[in-house]
Amino acid sequence: MPESALLIKSLVFNYGKLRVIDNISLEVPAGISFGLLGSNGAGKTTLIRLMVGLLKPAGGSIHCLGHPPSPAVARNTGYMPQLPALYNELTVEENIDFFARIYGLRDGRLRSARVEEVLRLIELWRKRKTPVSQLSGGMKQRVSLGCAVVHQPRLLFLDEPTAGLDPDLRMSFWEYFNSLTEKGATLIISSHTMDDAARCRRLAFLKEGKVIAQGSPAELKAATGRADISLEDAFLYYIRHTRAKENV
Amino acid sequence: MYNMITIAWRTIKQLVRDRRTIALILIVPLVIASLIGVSVPDKTILNYTLPAILATLILFFGFLLSGISFLRERYQGTRERLMASPVSRLDIICGYLLGFLLFAMAQTLILFFYTVYVLKVDFKGDLWQIVLFQVLIGILAVCLGIFISAFARNEFQMIQFIPLIIVPQVFICGVLFPVEQLPGYLQWIARFLPLTYGVDGIRALMLEGKSLLGIGREIGVLSGYAVALMIFAGISLRRGIA
Repeated sequence: MPESALLIKSLVFNYGKLRVIDNISLEVPAGISFGLLGSNGAGKTTLIRLMVGLLKPAGGSIHCLGHPPSPAVARNTGYMPQLPALYNELTVEENIDFFARIYGLRDGRLRSARVEEVLRLIELWRKRKTPVSQLSGGMKQRVSLGCAVVHQPRLLFLDEPTAGLDPDLRMSFWEYFNSLTEKGATLIISSHTMDDAARCRRLAFLKEGKVIAQGSPAELKAATGRADISLEDAFLYYIRHTRAKENV
Repeated sequence: MYNMITIAWRTIKQLVRDRRTIALILIVPLVIASLIGVSVPDKTILNYTLPAILATLILFFGFLLSGISFLRERYQGTRERLMASPVSRLDIICGYLLGFLLFAMAQTLILFFYTVYVLKVDFKGDLWQIVLFQVLIGILAVCLGIFISAFARNEFQMIQFIPLIIVPQVFICGVLFPVEQLPGYLQWIARFLPLTYGVDGIRALMLEGKSLLGIGREIGVLSGYAVALMIFAGISLRRGIA
């Protein structure tokens, strides 16, 4: 495994004339959870779409597992979009099986075993024959996560994976995320909640397409120079500090 | 090939689960064919018009089915998810093409056999050659639907493309009146529209009893259109992701 699971240098992306990603550079070591934290419109989803190769950058470079995004690299990465993005007419099992197939699990026996393992992991084994259209929002999120991890990716992109989940389910998602990083997987997680941010090993705070601060939660808090500051207050500190610098 | 078949199979399963859509796919062609049969009592006119209407309906149903289904994939986010996976654009386009084509062809064959065996429309050529040519029109229709869906943001907009893309071809491409009777500039436009070649080809097969080898020009043009649309559809896959 390369030293950095994800390496981004001077990344730029525009929607028409609007600059959405403005000269972002990031380096994410393998085997950690890395949080992209920012308010709505900060560029988190665009950044993740660039990382998975859905969008082409206007400048700069992205290397996932040592290579630019490509179908070959995608075999070792997983992507959980913000919307559940599932086939509503198909059952839970069929959705996960479909993604297992297109991510290269072609051996029928191995695939069935892995699909069963994922169904038990997301606690939907009993609902495996239920069409996705009949599931609650939280259950759909679990299926979506199952589809993203069924091929055991080394690098996983999760776009607001815990949005709209109840605290219990959020906790179980994080227990699973931690178990993945313990096994060596790298997780890139976008969020706008401090609860998620506090659980990440390292963080990047985003504002209007720029990284305004990055480091571990403890480092980010310490750099504000205030004792016992919460992560939320640290985030607000960096936002206001950046705004003040822009106004000068 | 494996990914292509996986996508095609998934598309088929999805559509089969939607029982109301399946019922409509099977019933609508019969209703339309019956209406045509009843409203055109003159057998000579029916024999001349029906092959062209058949070609038009293949184009229409294929376009509508693939366009709407593909559009739905886009706004549900499933296409985006698929594009972030290891599958190639060719796998995606050909996978959907195979899946949609099955239903487009089911409609086509129902229409064809109903017109031939129930409405007793006379035809000359080989049955299998006529069906094969219809498959080609079906492929073109599905590619057209996938490509055009890139320019619609919702189903309502997709429906608006029917009067823009399909209806003018009905009037210009010789479905109702021979192209030669149209003003010169419309004849010129007709030369660039795929339905002209679909209508000419199917009439040559069904009315003149020609073989597929005898309509090489029509097959060549329609195949060219289908390949070009498939390439454009592949390029347009990224549209709407941003």
